[in-house]
Amino acid sequence: MNVEKDAVRVCLIDDDQIYAFGFKTLTKLKGLNSQVTHFSNGNAAIAWLKNSLNRDNLPDVIFLDINMPVMDGWEFMHEFADIKPQLGKIITIYMLSSSIDLNDIYRARKIAGVEDYIFKPVNGYQLSEIINLLQEQRETKNYKYRS
Amino acid sequence: MSFSIGHKFSDDSKRHLAQIIDNINAGIWEYNITTKDIRWSSGFYLLLGYEPGEIECSNHMFFEHLLYHQDKPAFLAALSNQQSAITQPLQIRLLTKTSGYHWFESTIRKYNDETGHIIYGSLININQYKQAQIQAAHNDAIYRDTLKIAKLGSWEINAASMGLSLSKQLYDIYELQNHVKLSLDEAISFFEPQYRHVIKNAIDSAIAFCQPYDLELLFRSAKNNVMWVRAKGIPIIDDFGKCVTVHGIIQDINNKKRKTLGLESSLNLLTDQNRRLQNFAYIVSHNLRSHTGNLQFMVKLYDDTAVDEDRAEIFSHIKSISDSLSTTIEHLNEIVAIQTEITRERTVIDFEALFKNILSALKSNIEALDATIELDFSKCPQISYIPAYMESILQNLLTNSLKYSDPARKPLIKCHTLKDRNHIYLIFEDNGIGIDMERYGDKIFGMYKTFHQNPDAKGIGLFITRNQIEALGGTIKVESTVNIGTKFTIRLV
Repeated sequence: MNVEKDAVRVCLIDDDQIYAFGFKTLTKLKGLNSQVTHFSNGNAAIAWLKNSLNRDNLPDVIFLDINMPVMDGWEFMHEFADIKPQLGKIITIYMLSSSIDLNDIYRARKIAGVEDYIFKPVNGYQLSEIINLLQEQRETKNYKYRS
Repeated sequence: MSFSIGHKFSDDSKRHLAQIIDNINAGIWEYNITTKDIRWSSGFYLLLGYEPGEIECSNHMFFEHLLYHQDKPAFLAALSNQQSAITQPLQIRLLTKTSGYHWFESTIRKYNDETGHIIYGSLININQYKQAQIQAAHNDAIYRDTLKIAKLGSWEINAASMGLSLSKQLYDIYELQNHVKLSLDEAISFFEPQYRHVIKNAIDSAIAFCQPYDLELLFRSAKNNVMWVRAKGIPIIDDFGKCVTVHGIIQDINNKKRKTLGLESSLNLLTDQNRRLQNFAYIVSHNLRSHTGNLQFMVKLYDDTAVDEDRAEIFSHIKSISDSLSTTIEHLNEIVAIQTEITRERTVIDFEALFKNILSALKSNIEALDATIELDFSKCPQISYIPAYMESILQNLLTNSLKYSDPARKPLIKCHTLKDRNHIYLIFEDNGIGIDMERYGDKIFGMYKTFHQNPDAKGIGLFITRNQIEALGGTIKVESTVNIGTKFTIRLV
């Protein structure tokens, strides 16, 4: 039953370099089977997602910060809705922010395609839960595919 | 004694005449100055509410009992008037039997016959008319006082001739002493220039489309008093629904309007301050939280990590968070300082001298970019302002223009001042990379908003600049085109 597990592909979009470092370190520490790709703003992420060369490496989950220069989280969601149909893969999105402004939270919850709003910094348990859940989903899918 | 009884008329015709006199709906009286003989017609008694002969027909009765004492001098004067046989009818008050004093009017005529000088006259009751007249005069006085208290004047425009007529009170509002005839255009020219077309259009559409109007406009009287007035007009239509006349009022509402405007500006000030507070709360919430969050995050990772190399890296991040935290606290201090420094004294600042100082401070940056800076403060060389603010504003704008210059061309930065009525403007332009206004708009003045991937961008400069300008009652506006440049228009005062 113990088949080789594919790593969960995680995409982090955040201009905060320290947070990105912490995020990666945390996944390593927790021993999560994941591979983290980091972008400093929405624009860089959109460009990468659009690039057909990356078609096979599309992320399973995106952690998206709200406040970023060039293209912020809200604008990213807008752009993402346009390219979503062409991706051919369901990507779960969590919005991340240190903002405790209720307006931001309501606004995020209203956007279709946003799984949840997570307060920064994300804790290890929460992250493990999300990654492990995705892992399970993939295994179920793979299992079905194989049988 | 009546005319028809014991009179010397002997003929039937004379008797007939006497009967007419007694039955006429007026009182006839006659007084022979020579013989002191006095006669009243039946009508005379009846007018006063008596039966003929009920009261004594005598001078004494008339002057001491019937005639109101205040009217006695005028009546006597009329009697003794020797100038002409016919004097003007006289209005007097006489005491009636049951309903007090009434107003009467009497003619006074004179003639001489063989018996002597005779004065006679006819008396009619004018009480109702007189009462109405007094009431009308009273109403008129109240009306005048009311309009005066309300500071309200009226006018009328004849739609066919476009002729204008103004009430006395309106001339008072215009402060025109002799009531010169004004044409419509002349009347409109008393409104302040920016409101003339407003009132003109309103009157035109009242005449053309029967549209009523109600406006608040600035008005300048003949004596140069500027005041707010309410101008209201309603069209009067004919049977075919066409406007024939426009009736309007103009009311001096200066005090109330100024108070309202004062309230509005306080409200705007409060709204601005509230927005600044919200911004402040937002940065405390967002920015400090993100630093402290990161700090907690790193400390936790530090605890959980066993590898020394990893620990060293985590610790270096802790150091940089500590630096960021102190920078953020400095920024917060700057923002708080804006509010506290506002009470500092303003001094007269020379734009040119101040700008030259800033240029020398940024000399190396300017030379490195080979930037051209054109200054023209000839239109308004000085301003009374808080020096620290002005320095900060100019330095921020200049630093921004240098930071966001387009590497494809030599930076050209222009700064000039303008004076318009009571306002002083500072215009600051560059040919830098510009900013997508459609996308960012006024966000560029927000806190910690950065739009370019410039490592020096902190997102605090324009926020502080706007706060300083607004704290002193000014405004800042931005126009920008990507790859062309950016222009800031600042109303300083």
